[in-house]
Amino acid sequence: MTGKTLAAATIAALAAAAATGASAQELTLWSHWADQTAKVKFVEDAARAFEAAHPGVTIKISWYQKEPLYAALKTALSAGQAPDIFYAETDQTEYMKTGLILDLKDKLNWDAIEPWAQEVWGYDGGVYGFPLEAWTVETYTNEGMLEELGIAIPVDGLEGEAFVEAVKTIAGAGMTPMAQGVGDRPYPGAFLTHEILVKRLGKADYESLLKGEGVEWSDPRVREALEYAKEIIDAGAFPASFSSIKLGEAHRYFHTDPGAAMLQMGSFYPSRAFAAPDAGGQPENFALGIVNGPIPPDAACPQCKTIAVGGSFVVNAASEHPDLAVDFLNSMATPEMGNAWLEANLVQTGIKADPSAITGDKADYFKKLAAANEGVTYTYGIPVQQMHGTARETFTQTVNQAFPAGLIGVDEVIDMMGSSY
Amino acid sequence: MAIPRDMNAPATALTDVPPARDHANPRSAIAAFLTPALLIYAAFTALPVARTFFNSVHLVVPNRPDEWVGFTHYAELWTDKIFWKAVHNTLTWAVAAPILEVTIATLLALCLYAKVPFARFLRVAWFTPVLMSYVVVGILWMWILNYDWGALNEILRGIGLGGLAQPWLGHPATALPSLIGVTTWMWTGFNMVVILAAMSSLPSEVLEAAELDNCGWFAKLWFVILPLIRPTLLNLVILSFIGKMKIFDLVWVTTRGNPLWSTETVSTYVYKRAFQWSEFDLGYPSTIAVVWFVIVLAGVLLLTAIFRQRDRIEY
Repeated sequence: MTGKTLAAATIAALAAAAATGASAQELTLWSHWADQTAKVKFVEDAARAFEAAHPGVTIKISWYQKEPLYAALKTALSAGQAPDIFYAETDQTEYMKTGLILDLKDKLNWDAIEPWAQEVWGYDGGVYGFPLEAWTVETYTNEGMLEELGIAIPVDGLEGEAFVEAVKTIAGAGMTPMAQGVGDRPYPGAFLTHEILVKRLGKADYESLLKGEGVEWSDPRVREALEYAKEIIDAGAFPASFSSIKLGEAHRYFHTDPGAAMLQMGSFYPSRAFAAPDAGGQPENFALGIVNGPIPPDAACPQCKTIAVGGSFVVNAASEHPDLAVDFLNSMATPEMGNAWLEANLVQTGIKADPSAITGDKADYFKKLAAANEGVTYTYGIPVQQMHGTARETFTQTVNQAFPAGLIGVDEVIDMMGSSY
Repeated sequence: MAIPRDMNAPATALTDVPPARDHANPRSAIAAFLTPALLIYAAFTALPVARTFFNSVHLVVPNRPDEWVGFTHYAELWTDKIFWKAVHNTLTWAVAAPILEVTIATLLALCLYAKVPFARFLRVAWFTPVLMSYVVVGILWMWILNYDWGALNEILRGIGLGGLAQPWLGHPATALPSLIGVTTWMWTGFNMVVILAAMSSLPSEVLEAAELDNCGWFAKLWFVILPLIRPTLLNLVILSFIGKMKIFDLVWVTTRGNPLWSTETVSTYVYKRAFQWSEFDLGYPSTIAVVWFVIVLAGVLLLTAIFRQRDRIEY
């Protein structure tokens, strides 16, 4: 090969490479769920399908645990080095406030997304997140244990003293009425109290209370709700090791060792419990029930409960490929993908889906979940998703931890929460 | 090989000869050696520190120019109850832990100095905890202190003291003392080895003179050994103090500041404010860091002043 030929070949190769580079596009995505294989598989499959439908496009996904992800995003966003798409939750209003994420109001296929999910991601006239994961706060029951103790809890739940008596009966038999723990999360310990609060106050007043806009913690109805929760706690509802039990351990505590009669938990319960028993899942033939409640006396809205939009994807406002990023999100916004999510993850989604289409051994679970959510009025987001700053931190320390652990009483909760806004 | 200089050469030729190097003042060599280190120091220490001071008087939010807020953050910090709770906890830890660690370490070092049986084994055993990271130590002690099946409560139940069993890390009254106990367990061995080394290097003639004067073991310890190793003890106390003033990992692994902020330290609070409060502003966390830097510096200076050796011991 002569020198001229070699030079020409090199130039041609460089030109070809440049041309390829110009058409190739890489989307980057950072997400939580590093240890949740079903969710990882769902998103990876969606990415590969999108790549196949869009030659020249690659989607590079980095999986994290939630806290390292948030820390990495904070610095990356400040430095202008953040990915095109990233995981976010609805409480992260700082992204919207600072204009760091794209308004998806006119971009996403909202026809395929649940209206409530759209509402949760609304901010200042825009809609900012693609709500992939959603969950409701449910009271799961260990039917076998309840039957053994002669306690029957209807799907609509037990009201007032009837629930307290049930707790006393279970505790009196040397069993744990409600498995729960706050060892690694800032919210599960508050499930009991905030579900009582929303039922006692009704949706609007409850949301007003959490936001510190109107209803105050010193409101007599709030006190009554807290006193009812305290009565349940003092009846021995929670295990003594409540403070150190982690979320996953609470699941195991409920269904396996030592066993508890109830577990108030997000409807993401099956993502752990439906694993094989030797992988931490519930035992074969475990009789799982789902009920409403407990319902406080004089409840303004006995059928109110919390629905939380969990893991969602948002688009970086500084992305070089915003349209492509939106196209990728829209590729997941289909009823087929909604059903695929349900089937794979056994937890609700903001994508419109049809749980009745689920067949196989999990169909029964979805029927029970649907029955427990029949006619329900939802409040959007657990309190730590609706609160910010000192109020949120105080809520975590008091209503989530110290109050259910029996370390403080109703007066302290009212004082501390009231002065935190 | 040296080139002989032509003494008859014109003066202009002599000026062409490069001047002899001033070996007593090698500025270029000093600069060459110092520059890399100074650059690294400037980039990774001085600049971040300066930026932290800058942030503390600004609102620092992405997509917006930094906004001067003067001493607003400092005023806010003054009324921040959680911050003061964290200060109280951290100071409690930083005062209690050095005393416990150095006192127990001195006693253990004396045991080894006196050559108790199995001294070699004990030295290794007592030193081992410091080889583990705070994360491992945290997980280990979470198991030990677990209410249901932790070793501590199992032992208490086993010896009929089940009434004392409790969630050690889950109660405000016991959580911080438990964590102080953990750091004491972890660092005592390190202090012991350093003190033992100091004892081993004591001049034998001084100790022998004390024995000749019929000095008892306690008098020898109190009037001879401890004064002689005082500088070592002071350094260990200051090192421990600084370490506890910055403690983060152990708290984060075990309690995250819970329950009711009873184990919140300044470092965990800075982290929460910087990364977990759904706010992008780095100004307020920087203010906490600046204030704490000043407090730690003041603490070290105070300790140094308190322990300053007024009459130098000579031997």
